[in-house]
Amino acid sequence: MVRDVEAGYGAVRVLHGVSMEVNEGETVALLGTNGNGKSTLLKCIMGIVRPDAGEIVLEEDGRRTSLVGRSPEEIVGLGIALVPEGRRLFPKLTVEENLLLGAYRREARAEIAGNLRFCLDAFPVLGERRRQLAGSLSGGEQQMLALARAVMSSPRILLVDEPSVGLAPILVSRVIAKIRELKESHHLTVLMAEQNFNQATKIADRGYIIVHGQIEFEGHSTRELAEHELVKKYYLGV
Amino acid sequence: MFSLDLLTDAVVAGILLGGFYAAVSLGITLAFGLLDIVNIAHPAFVILGAYGAYVGNSRLGLDPIVAGLLGMPVFFLLGMVVYRVYYASFEKRGDESLRGLVFFFGIIFIIEVSLLLQYGVDYRSVDAAYLGATLELGPITLPFRLAIPFAVALGLTLLLHLFLSRTFWGRAVKAVSQDHLALRLMGASPVRVKALAFAIAIATASVAGALLIMIGPIEPSVGREYIGRVFAIAVLGGMGSIGGTLAASLILGVLESLTSTFYGPSWALAVSFGILLVVLAVRPAGLFGR
Repeated sequence: MVRDVEAGYGAVRVLHGVSMEVNEGETVALLGTNGNGKSTLLKCIMGIVRPDAGEIVLEEDGRRTSLVGRSPEEIVGLGIALVPEGRRLFPKLTVEENLLLGAYRREARAEIAGNLRFCLDAFPVLGERRRQLAGSLSGGEQQMLALARAVMSSPRILLVDEPSVGLAPILVSRVIAKIRELKESHHLTVLMAEQNFNQATKIADRGYIIVHGQIEFEGHSTRELAEHELVKKYYLGV
Repeated sequence: MFSLDLLTDAVVAGILLGGFYAAVSLGITLAFGLLDIVNIAHPAFVILGAYGAYVGNSRLGLDPIVAGLLGMPVFFLLGMVVYRVYYASFEKRGDESLRGLVFFFGIIFIIEVSLLLQYGVDYRSVDAAYLGATLELGPITLPFRLAIPFAVALGLTLLLHLFLSRTFWGRAVKAVSQDHLALRLMGASPVRVKALAFAIAIATASVAGALLIMIGPIEPSVGREYIGRVFAIAVLGGMGSIGGTLAASLILGVLESLTSTFYGPSWALAVSFGILLVVLAVRPAGLFGR
Protein backbone atom coordinates (compact mmCIF):
# COMPACT_ATOMS: atom_id res chain seq x y z
CA MET A 1 0.00 0.00 0.00
CA VAL A 2 1.29 3.40 -0.94
CA ARG A 3 -0.08 6.57 0.60
CA ASP A 4 0.56 10.23 -0.25
CA VAL A 5 3.99 9.57 -1.64
CA GLU A 6 5.95 12.53 -2.88
CA ALA A 7 9.35 12.11 -4.44
CA GLY A 8 11.74 13.55 -6.94
CA TYR A 9 15.31 13.96 -7.98
CA GLY A 10 17.06 17.05 -6.63
CA ALA A 11 14.79 20.02 -7.21
CA VAL A 12 12.58 18.19 -9.69
CA ARG A 13 9.40 16.85 -8.15
CA VAL A 14 8.12 13.77 -9.90
CA LEU A 15 5.45 12.35 -7.61
CA HIS A 16 2.87 14.64 -6.02
CA GLY A 17 0.98 12.67 -3.39
CA VAL A 18 0.44 9.31 -4.99
CA SER A 19 -1.78 6.83 -3.16
CA MET A 20 -2.55 3.34 -4.33
CA GLU A 21 -3.13 -0.13 -3.05
CA VAL A 22 -2.37 -3.59 -4.35
CA ASN A 23 -4.10 -6.50 -2.65
CA GLU A 24 -2.71 -9.95 -2.25
CA GLY A 25 -3.03 -12.05 -5.37
CA GLU A 26 -3.98 -9.18 -7.65
CA THR A 27 -2.39 -8.04 -10.87
CA VAL A 28 -2.53 -4.27 -10.96
CA ALA A 29 -1.48 -2.15 -13.92
CA LEU A 30 0.09 1.24 -13.42
CA LEU A 31 -0.58 3.02 -16.67
CA GLY A 32 0.97 6.19 -17.92
CA THR A 33 3.04 7.53 -20.75
CA ASN A 34 6.73 8.34 -20.41
CA GLY A 35 7.77 10.80 -17.75
CA ASN A 36 4.70 10.61 -15.56
CA GLY A 37 6.36 8.90 -12.63
CA LYS A 38 5.67 5.19 -13.06
CA SER A 39 9.29 4.14 -12.69
CA THR A 40 9.90 6.60 -9.88
CA LEU A 41 7.01 5.10 -7.91
CA LEU A 42 8.41 1.58 -8.36
CA LYS A 43 11.85 2.86 -7.35
CA CYS A 44 10.34 4.37 -4.20
CA ILE A 45 8.76 1.04 -3.32
CA MET A 46 12.10 -0.74 -3.84
CA GLY A 47 14.04 1.79 -1.76
CA ILE A 48 16.10 3.01 -4.71
CA VAL A 49 14.57 6.49 -4.48
CA ARG A 50 13.73 7.77 -1.05
CA PRO A 51 10.36 9.52 -0.91
CA ASP A 52 10.28 13.01 0.58
CA ALA A 53 6.91 12.36 2.16
CA GLY A 54 4.28 9.69 2.46
CA GLU A 55 4.11 6.08 3.51
CA ILE A 56 4.84 2.82 1.78
CA VAL A 57 3.64 -0.12 3.81
CA LEU A 58 3.75 -3.86 3.33
CA GLU A 59 0.89 -5.59 5.16
CA GLU A 60 1.22 -9.28 5.66
CA ASP A 61 -0.67 -11.55 8.03
CA GLY A 62 -1.70 -8.50 10.02
CA ARG A 63 1.89 -7.24 10.32
CA ARG A 64 2.68 -3.82 8.94
CA THR A 65 6.19 -3.14 7.69
CA SER A 66 7.12 0.33 6.56
CA LEU A 67 9.36 0.26 3.50
CA VAL A 68 10.41 3.91 3.59
CA GLY A 69 14.04 4.26 4.67
CA ARG A 70 14.91 0.65 3.99
CA SER A 71 17.63 -0.29 1.53
CA PRO A 72 16.81 -2.20 -1.67
CA GLU A 73 18.62 -5.22 -0.20
CA GLU A 74 16.31 -5.28 2.81
CA ILE A 75 13.23 -4.84 0.64
CA VAL A 76 14.28 -7.72 -1.59
CA GLY A 77 14.70 -9.71 1.62
CA LEU A 78 11.03 -9.03 2.43
CA GLY A 79 9.99 -10.88 -0.70
CA ILE A 80 9.55 -8.04 -3.16
CA ALA A 81 11.31 -8.29 -6.51
CA LEU A 82 11.63 -5.70 -9.25
CA VAL A 83 12.16 -6.41 -12.91
CA PRO A 84 13.76 -3.07 -13.67
CA GLU A 85 13.33 -0.84 -16.64
CA GLY A 86 15.94 -1.70 -19.23
CA ARG A 87 16.25 -5.19 -17.69
CA ARG A 88 19.64 -4.55 -16.10
CA LEU A 89 21.09 -7.99 -16.56
CA PHE A 90 24.74 -8.74 -15.87
CA PRO A 91 25.86 -8.82 -19.52
CA LYS A 92 29.23 -10.45 -18.95
CA LEU A 93 27.86 -13.29 -16.86
CA THR A 94 26.19 -16.35 -18.31
CA VAL A 95 22.44 -16.87 -18.33
CA GLU A 96 22.80 -19.41 -15.56
CA GLU A 97 24.96 -17.11 -13.42
CA ASN A 98 22.36 -14.37 -13.81
CA LEU A 99 19.65 -16.75 -12.64
CA LEU A 100 21.67 -17.98 -9.68
CA LEU A 101 22.37 -14.40 -8.62
CA GLY A 102 18.62 -13.92 -8.53
CA ALA A 103 18.52 -16.48 -5.74
CA TYR A 104 20.95 -14.53 -3.57
CA ARG A 105 18.56 -13.77 -0.73
CA ARG A 106 18.55 -16.34 2.03
CA GLU A 107 14.97 -17.58 1.65
CA ALA A 108 15.56 -18.13 -2.06
CA ARG A 109 18.73 -20.19 -1.62
CA ALA A 110 16.75 -22.97 0.03
CA GLU A 111 14.45 -23.18 -2.98
CA ILE A 112 17.10 -22.73 -5.60
CA ALA A 113 16.93 -26.14 -7.25
CA GLY A 114 13.17 -26.07 -7.67
CA ASN A 115 13.14 -22.47 -8.87
CA LEU A 116 15.90 -23.10 -11.39
CA ARG A 117 14.13 -26.13 -12.79
CA PHE A 118 10.93 -24.14 -12.97
CA CYS A 119 12.58 -21.23 -14.81
CA LEU A 120 14.29 -23.46 -17.33
CA ASP A 121 10.97 -25.23 -17.99
CA ALA A 122 8.99 -22.02 -18.21
CA PHE A 123 11.60 -20.37 -20.43
CA PRO A 124 13.02 -23.15 -22.63
CA VAL A 125 15.14 -20.65 -24.54
CA LEU A 126 17.07 -19.88 -21.36
CA GLY A 127 17.83 -23.56 -20.92
CA GLU A 128 19.23 -23.73 -24.43
CA ARG A 129 21.38 -20.67 -23.81
CA ARG A 130 22.40 -21.48 -20.25
CA ARG A 131 26.12 -21.07 -20.84
CA GLN A 132 25.87 -18.03 -23.11
CA LEU A 133 26.61 -14.54 -21.88
CA ALA A 134 23.47 -12.61 -21.04
CA GLY A 135 24.70 -9.72 -23.18
CA SER A 136 24.53 -11.91 -26.28
CA LEU A 137 20.80 -12.60 -25.96
CA SER A 138 18.17 -10.87 -28.08
CA GLY A 139 15.92 -8.24 -26.51
CA GLY A 140 13.04 -10.64 -26.00
CA GLU A 141 15.28 -13.29 -24.49
CA GLN A 142 16.81 -10.69 -22.18
CA GLN A 143 13.37 -9.66 -20.95
CA MET A 144 12.55 -13.32 -20.29
CA LEU A 145 15.82 -13.69 -18.39
CA ALA A 146 15.09 -10.58 -16.33
CA LEU A 147 11.70 -12.01 -15.39
CA ALA A 148 13.13 -15.42 -14.60
CA ARG A 149 15.91 -13.87 -12.52
CA ALA A 150 13.31 -12.02 -10.43
CA VAL A 151 11.33 -15.23 -9.94
CA MET A 152 14.51 -16.94 -8.72
CA SER A 153 14.33 -14.78 -5.59
CA SER A 154 11.07 -16.53 -4.58
CA PRO A 155 9.19 -13.25 -4.30
CA ARG A 156 5.63 -12.84 -3.12
CA ILE A 157 5.30 -9.47 -4.79
CA LEU A 158 6.62 -8.88 -8.28
CA LEU A 159 7.07 -5.36 -9.61
CA VAL A 160 7.59 -5.13 -13.35
CA ASP A 161 8.72 -1.90 -14.97
CA GLU A 162 7.80 -1.51 -18.63
CA PRO A 163 8.33 -5.06 -19.86
CA SER A 164 7.27 -4.07 -23.38
CA VAL A 165 9.96 -1.47 -24.03
CA GLY A 166 12.06 -2.17 -27.09
CA LEU A 167 10.30 -5.38 -28.02
CA ALA A 168 8.44 -6.33 -31.17
CA PRO A 169 4.64 -6.65 -30.63
CA ILE A 170 4.67 -10.44 -30.88
CA LEU A 171 7.34 -10.61 -28.16
CA VAL A 172 5.42 -8.20 -25.95
CA SER A 173 2.44 -10.57 -26.06
CA ARG A 174 4.68 -13.44 -25.10
CA VAL A 175 6.29 -11.59 -22.21
CA ILE A 176 2.91 -10.46 -20.91
CA ALA A 177 1.57 -14.00 -21.14
CA LYS A 178 4.60 -15.22 -19.21
CA ILE A 179 3.98 -12.72 -16.44
CA ARG A 180 0.49 -14.12 -16.02
CA GLU A 181 1.83 -17.67 -16.09
CA LEU A 182 4.39 -16.87 -13.39
CA LYS A 183 1.83 -15.08 -11.30
CA GLU A 184 -0.45 -18.09 -11.33
CA SER A 185 2.18 -20.73 -10.73
CA HIS A 186 3.89 -18.82 -7.92
CA HIS A 187 0.79 -17.15 -6.40
CA LEU A 188 2.36 -13.74 -6.90
CA THR A 189 0.98 -10.31 -6.39
CA VAL A 190 1.95 -8.25 -9.43
CA LEU A 191 2.27 -4.52 -9.96
CA MET A 192 3.17 -3.73 -13.55
CA ALA A 193 4.04 -0.30 -14.89
CA GLU A 194 3.26 -0.12 -18.58
CA GLN A 195 2.44 2.32 -21.30
CA ASN A 196 1.13 -0.33 -23.63
CA PHE A 197 -2.47 -0.21 -22.50
CA ASN A 198 -3.82 -3.06 -24.60
CA GLN A 199 -1.16 -5.47 -23.50
CA ALA A 200 -1.26 -4.52 -19.83
CA THR A 201 -5.02 -4.87 -19.53
CA LYS A 202 -4.86 -8.39 -20.97
CA ILE A 203 -3.62 -9.66 -17.63
CA ALA A 204 -4.47 -6.90 -15.16
CA ASP A 205 -7.39 -7.19 -12.76
CA ARG A 206 -7.58 -3.45 -12.43
CA GLY A 207 -5.37 -0.41 -12.77
CA TYR A 208 -4.37 3.14 -12.06
CA ILE A 209 -3.63 5.89 -14.52
CA ILE A 210 -0.82 8.19 -13.47
CA VAL A 211 -0.45 11.61 -15.07
CA HIS A 212 2.19 14.16 -14.08
CA GLY A 213 2.93 12.36 -10.85
CA GLN A 214 -0.64 12.06 -9.67
CA ILE A 215 -3.13 9.23 -9.84
CA GLU A 216 -5.73 10.61 -12.24
CA PHE A 217 -8.02 7.63 -12.31
CA GLU A 218 -8.52 4.36 -10.52
CA GLY A 219 -10.22 1.70 -12.62
CA HIS A 220 -11.75 -1.13 -10.64
CA SER A 221 -11.83 -3.32 -13.71
CA THR A 222 -10.10 -3.28 -17.05
CA ARG A 223 -13.44 -2.36 -18.58
CA GLU A 224 -13.68 0.78 -16.49
CA LEU A 225 -10.17 1.64 -17.59
CA ALA A 226 -10.89 1.12 -21.25
CA GLU A 227 -13.93 3.35 -21.07
CA HIS A 228 -12.16 6.21 -19.37
CA GLU A 229 -11.59 9.28 -21.47
CA LEU A 230 -7.90 9.57 -20.61
CA VAL A 231 -7.31 6.11 -21.96
CA LYS A 232 -9.29 6.89 -25.07
CA LYS A 233 -7.31 10.06 -25.55
CA TYR A 234 -3.80 8.73 -24.90
CA TYR A 235 -3.84 5.09 -25.69
CA LEU A 236 -6.59 4.08 -27.99
CA GLY A 237 -6.38 7.08 -30.25
CA VAL A 238 -10.15 7.47 -30.25
CA MET B 1 75.19 -21.34 -26.85
CA PHE B 2 71.82 -22.86 -27.73
CA SER B 3 71.16 -26.38 -26.51
CA LEU B 4 68.12 -28.50 -25.87
CA ASP B 5 68.96 -28.86 -22.19
CA LEU B 6 69.18 -25.16 -21.78
CA LEU B 7 65.83 -24.74 -23.54
CA THR B 8 64.15 -27.38 -21.35
CA ASP B 9 65.54 -25.82 -18.19
CA ALA B 10 64.44 -22.37 -19.28
CA VAL B 11 60.90 -23.54 -20.08
CA VAL B 12 60.56 -25.44 -16.80
CA ALA B 13 61.90 -22.52 -14.80
CA GLY B 14 59.52 -20.24 -16.71
CA ILE B 15 56.48 -22.37 -15.91
CA LEU B 16 57.41 -22.50 -12.24
CA LEU B 17 58.06 -18.76 -12.17
CA GLY B 18 54.76 -18.20 -14.00
CA GLY B 19 52.88 -20.04 -11.29
CA PHE B 20 54.37 -17.71 -8.74
CA TYR B 21 53.42 -14.69 -10.87
CA ALA B 22 49.85 -16.00 -10.80
CA ALA B 23 49.87 -15.99 -6.99
CA VAL B 24 51.01 -12.35 -6.99
CA SER B 25 48.55 -11.34 -9.71
CA LEU B 26 45.39 -12.96 -8.34
CA GLY B 27 44.86 -10.09 -5.94
CA ILE B 28 45.15 -7.58 -8.79
CA THR B 29 42.79 -9.58 -10.96
CA LEU B 30 40.24 -9.47 -8.16
CA ALA B 31 40.67 -5.83 -7.19
CA PHE B 32 41.43 -4.26 -10.56
CA GLY B 33 39.72 -6.71 -12.90
CA LEU B 34 36.52 -7.36 -10.97
CA LEU B 35 36.10 -4.48 -8.51
CA ASP B 36 37.56 -1.60 -10.54
CA ILE B 37 39.88 -0.76 -7.65
CA VAL B 38 43.29 0.26 -8.97
CA ASN B 39 45.24 -1.24 -6.11
CA ILE B 40 48.79 -0.48 -7.19
CA ALA B 41 49.83 -1.21 -3.61
CA HIS B 42 49.18 -4.93 -4.06
CA PRO B 43 52.85 -5.82 -4.60
CA ALA B 44 53.65 -3.84 -1.44
CA PHE B 45 51.16 -6.00 0.46
CA VAL B 46 52.94 -9.02 -1.03
CA ILE B 47 56.23 -7.70 0.41
CA LEU B 48 54.49 -7.20 3.73
CA GLY B 49 53.38 -10.83 3.50
CA ALA B 50 56.96 -11.84 2.74
CA TYR B 51 58.17 -10.11 5.89
CA GLY B 52 55.37 -11.81 7.79
CA ALA B 53 56.70 -15.15 6.58
CA TYR B 54 60.22 -14.03 7.46
CA VAL B 55 59.21 -13.17 11.02
CA GLY B 56 57.21 -16.39 11.40
CA ASN B 57 60.15 -18.37 10.10
CA SER B 58 63.06 -16.70 11.87
CA ARG B 59 61.42 -15.91 15.22
CA LEU B 60 58.87 -18.67 15.63
CA GLY B 61 60.51 -21.34 13.51
CA LEU B 62 57.43 -21.82 11.34
CA ASP B 63 57.51 -23.19 7.84
CA PRO B 64 57.24 -20.14 5.54
CA ILE B 65 54.10 -21.47 3.84
CA VAL B 66 52.44 -22.15 7.17
CA ALA B 67 53.40 -18.62 8.23
CA GLY B 68 51.86 -17.29 5.00
CA LEU B 69 48.64 -19.20 5.60
CA LEU B 70 48.46 -18.05 9.21
CA GLY B 71 48.90 -14.49 8.01
CA MET B 72 45.82 -14.73 5.78
CA PRO B 73 43.18 -13.86 8.42
CA VAL B 74 45.23 -10.85 9.51
CA PHE B 75 45.61 -9.70 5.91
CA PHE B 76 41.92 -10.34 5.34
CA LEU B 77 41.04 -7.94 8.15
CA LEU B 78 43.63 -5.46 6.92
CA GLY B 79 42.05 -5.59 3.44
CA MET B 80 38.62 -5.01 4.90
CA VAL B 81 39.82 -1.94 6.79
CA VAL B 82 41.66 -0.56 3.74
CA TYR B 83 38.55 -0.99 1.58
CA ARG B 84 36.28 0.67 4.15
CA VAL B 85 38.62 3.67 4.30
CA TYR B 86 38.88 3.76 0.51
CA TYR B 87 35.12 3.49 0.16
CA ALA B 88 34.27 6.17 2.71
CA SER B 89 36.95 8.59 1.49
CA PHE B 90 36.78 8.16 -2.28
CA GLU B 91 34.43 5.64 -3.84
CA LYS B 92 31.31 6.87 -2.08
CA ARG B 93 31.92 10.36 -3.44
CA GLY B 94 32.77 9.12 -6.88
CA ASP B 95 36.30 10.52 -6.99
CA GLU B 96 38.19 7.27 -6.68
CA SER B 97 39.91 7.32 -10.05
CA LEU B 98 42.72 9.77 -9.35
CA ARG B 99 42.61 10.23 -5.59
CA GLY B 100 42.23 6.51 -5.10
CA LEU B 101 45.44 6.04 -7.02
CA VAL B 102 47.19 8.53 -4.75
CA PHE B 103 45.74 6.73 -1.73
CA PHE B 104 47.30 3.45 -2.84
CA PHE B 105 50.58 5.20 -3.61
CA GLY B 106 50.49 6.40 -0.04
CA ILE B 107 49.98 2.86 1.18
CA ILE B 108 53.00 1.71 -0.83
CA PHE B 109 55.17 4.27 0.93
CA ILE B 110 53.74 3.54 4.36
CA ILE B 111 54.46 -0.17 3.95
CA GLU B 112 57.92 0.36 2.48
CA VAL B 113 59.04 2.91 5.03
CA SER B 114 57.67 0.91 7.95
CA LEU B 115 59.53 -2.18 6.77
CA LEU B 116 62.70 -0.14 6.20
CA LEU B 117 62.57 1.32 9.70
CA GLN B 118 61.94 -2.05 11.24
CA TYR B 119 64.17 -4.32 9.18
CA GLY B 120 66.53 -2.04 7.26
CA VAL B 121 67.66 -2.46 3.67
CA ASP B 122 69.38 -5.82 4.13
CA TYR B 123 68.12 -8.72 2.09
CA ARG B 124 66.16 -11.20 4.19
CA SER B 125 65.38 -14.82 3.47
CA VAL B 126 63.72 -17.85 5.01
CA ASP B 127 64.98 -21.31 5.87
CA ALA B 128 63.31 -24.63 5.40
CA ALA B 129 64.94 -28.03 5.04
CA TYR B 130 63.44 -28.70 1.62
CA LEU B 131 64.41 -25.38 0.03
CA GLY B 132 67.78 -26.58 -1.23
CA ALA B 133 66.49 -29.92 -2.51
CA THR B 134 65.65 -30.79 -6.09
CA LEU B 135 63.48 -33.37 -7.75
CA GLU B 136 64.87 -35.15 -10.83
CA LEU B 137 62.22 -36.22 -13.32
CA GLY B 138 64.15 -37.72 -16.21
CA PRO B 139 65.79 -34.83 -18.04
CA ILE B 140 63.91 -32.24 -15.96
CA THR B 141 65.29 -30.83 -12.75
CA LEU B 142 62.75 -29.30 -10.38
CA PRO B 143 64.22 -27.18 -7.62
CA PHE B 144 61.89 -27.30 -4.60
CA ARG B 145 62.56 -23.62 -4.06
CA LEU B 146 60.47 -22.99 -7.20
CA ALA B 147 58.31 -26.13 -7.38
CA ILE B 148 56.64 -25.70 -4.01
CA PRO B 149 55.63 -22.08 -4.61
CA PHE B 150 54.29 -23.23 -7.97
CA ALA B 151 52.13 -25.93 -6.37
CA VAL B 152 50.86 -23.56 -3.68
CA ALA B 153 50.08 -20.92 -6.30
CA LEU B 154 48.08 -23.43 -8.34
CA GLY B 155 46.15 -24.42 -5.22
CA LEU B 156 45.40 -20.77 -4.43
CA THR B 157 44.27 -20.14 -8.01
CA LEU B 158 41.98 -23.15 -7.93
CA LEU B 159 40.43 -22.11 -4.61
CA LEU B 160 39.77 -18.62 -5.88
CA HIS B 161 38.28 -19.99 -9.07
CA LEU B 162 35.93 -22.25 -7.10
CA PHE B 163 34.97 -19.36 -4.84
CA LEU B 164 34.06 -17.15 -7.81
CA SER B 165 32.22 -19.77 -9.83
CA ARG B 166 30.49 -21.85 -7.16
CA THR B 167 29.41 -19.53 -4.36
CA PHE B 168 26.75 -16.87 -4.11
CA TRP B 169 29.30 -14.38 -2.82
CA GLY B 170 31.65 -15.25 -5.66
CA ARG B 171 29.04 -14.67 -8.34
CA ALA B 172 28.12 -11.39 -6.67
CA VAL B 173 31.79 -10.38 -6.82
CA LYS B 174 31.81 -11.02 -10.56
CA ALA B 175 28.62 -8.99 -10.99
CA VAL B 176 29.37 -6.02 -8.78
CA SER B 177 31.21 -3.81 -11.25
CA GLN B 178 28.81 -4.61 -14.08
CA ASP B 179 25.72 -3.13 -12.45
CA HIS B 180 25.72 -2.40 -8.76
CA LEU B 181 22.09 -1.31 -8.67
CA ALA B 182 21.01 -4.57 -10.27
CA LEU B 183 23.05 -6.38 -7.64
CA ARG B 184 21.15 -4.56 -4.92
CA LEU B 185 17.93 -5.71 -6.57
CA MET B 186 19.23 -9.26 -6.08
CA GLY B 187 19.45 -8.52 -2.36
CA ALA B 188 23.23 -8.15 -2.15
CA SER B 189 24.94 -5.06 -0.77
CA PRO B 190 27.64 -3.93 -3.24
CA VAL B 191 29.76 -2.38 -0.48
CA ARG B 192 29.80 -5.58 1.54
CA VAL B 193 30.51 -7.67 -1.54
CA LYS B 194 33.41 -5.42 -2.50
CA ALA B 195 34.79 -5.33 1.04
CA LEU B 196 34.80 -9.13 1.13
CA ALA B 197 36.42 -9.47 -2.29
CA PHE B 198 39.06 -6.86 -1.54
CA ALA B 199 39.81 -8.54 1.79
CA ILE B 200 40.28 -11.85 -0.03
CA ALA B 201 42.54 -10.13 -2.57
CA ILE B 202 44.75 -8.80 0.23
CA ALA B 203 44.67 -12.17 2.00
CA THR B 204 46.21 -13.79 -1.10
CA ALA B 205 49.14 -11.37 -0.70
CA SER B 206 50.10 -13.05 2.56
CA VAL B 207 50.62 -16.39 0.82
CA ALA B 208 52.13 -14.80 -2.30
CA GLY B 209 54.62 -13.01 -0.04
CA ALA B 210 55.65 -16.28 1.59
CA LEU B 211 56.23 -17.72 -1.88
CA LEU B 212 58.25 -14.66 -2.91
CA ILE B 213 60.67 -14.95 -0.01
CA MET B 214 61.05 -18.70 -0.59
CA ILE B 215 62.14 -18.07 -4.16
CA GLY B 216 64.73 -15.49 -3.28
CA PRO B 217 65.84 -12.99 -0.66
CA ILE B 218 63.95 -9.71 -0.49
CA GLU B 219 64.27 -6.16 0.77
CA PRO B 220 61.43 -3.64 1.32
CA SER B 221 61.35 -2.07 -2.15
CA VAL B 222 61.43 -5.15 -4.41
CA GLY B 223 57.66 -4.89 -4.75
CA ARG B 224 58.13 -2.09 -7.25
CA GLU B 225 59.56 -4.54 -9.75
CA TYR B 226 56.26 -6.34 -9.76
CA ILE B 227 53.81 -3.45 -10.15
CA GLY B 228 54.09 -3.28 -13.92
CA ARG B 229 54.28 -7.01 -14.36
CA VAL B 230 51.18 -7.88 -12.34
CA PHE B 231 49.09 -5.27 -14.10
CA ALA B 232 50.36 -6.59 -17.43
CA ILE B 233 49.23 -10.07 -16.38
CA ALA B 234 45.81 -8.89 -15.20
CA VAL B 235 45.19 -7.08 -18.49
CA LEU B 236 46.64 -9.88 -20.59
CA GLY B 237 44.52 -12.43 -18.75
CA GLY B 238 41.36 -10.53 -19.62
CA MET B 239 40.57 -8.42 -16.54
CA GLY B 240 38.93 -10.53 -13.93
CA SER B 241 39.34 -13.98 -15.39
CA ILE B 242 41.11 -16.32 -12.95
CA GLY B 243 41.92 -18.91 -15.62
CA GLY B 244 43.15 -16.11 -17.86
CA THR B 245 45.40 -14.80 -15.09
CA LEU B 246 47.00 -18.20 -14.66
CA ALA B 247 47.48 -18.64 -18.40
CA ALA B 248 48.90 -15.14 -18.83
CA SER B 249 51.23 -15.70 -15.86
CA LEU B 250 52.56 -18.92 -17.34
CA ILE B 251 53.02 -17.37 -20.79
CA LEU B 252 54.85 -14.41 -19.32
CA GLY B 253 56.93 -16.62 -17.03
CA VAL B 254 58.09 -18.83 -19.88
CA LEU B 255 58.80 -15.94 -22.22
CA GLU B 256 60.74 -14.04 -19.58
CA SER B 257 62.70 -17.13 -18.68
CA LEU B 258 63.56 -17.80 -22.32
CA THR B 259 64.57 -14.17 -22.78
CA SER B 260 66.78 -14.19 -19.67
CA THR B 261 68.42 -17.42 -20.72
CA PHE B 262 69.12 -16.51 -24.32
CA TYR B 263 69.37 -12.71 -24.37
CA GLY B 264 70.03 -11.64 -20.81
CA PRO B 265 67.88 -10.89 -17.75
CA SER B 266 67.67 -7.18 -18.42
CA TRP B 267 65.45 -7.88 -21.43
CA ALA B 268 62.91 -9.90 -19.45
CA LEU B 269 60.67 -7.05 -18.38
CA ALA B 270 60.83 -5.47 -21.82
CA VAL B 271 59.36 -8.67 -23.22
CA SER B 272 56.45 -8.53 -20.73
CA PHE B 273 55.52 -5.04 -21.77
CA GLY B 274 56.17 -5.73 -25.44
CA ILE B 275 53.61 -8.52 -25.30
CA LEU B 276 51.19 -6.36 -23.38
CA LEU B 277 51.37 -3.69 -26.11
CA VAL B 278 50.86 -6.21 -28.89
CA VAL B 279 47.92 -7.85 -27.13
CA LEU B 280 46.29 -4.50 -26.37
CA ALA B 281 46.61 -3.55 -30.02
CA VAL B 282 45.28 -6.84 -31.40
CA ARG B 283 42.87 -7.96 -28.69
CA PRO B 284 42.00 -5.13 -26.30
CA ALA B 285 39.86 -7.39 -24.09
CA GLY B 286 42.95 -9.45 -23.24
CA LEU B 287 43.76 -12.98 -24.29
CA PHE B 288 40.94 -14.53 -22.30
CA GLY B 289 38.56 -11.63 -21.82
CA ARG B 290 34.85 -12.02 -22.27
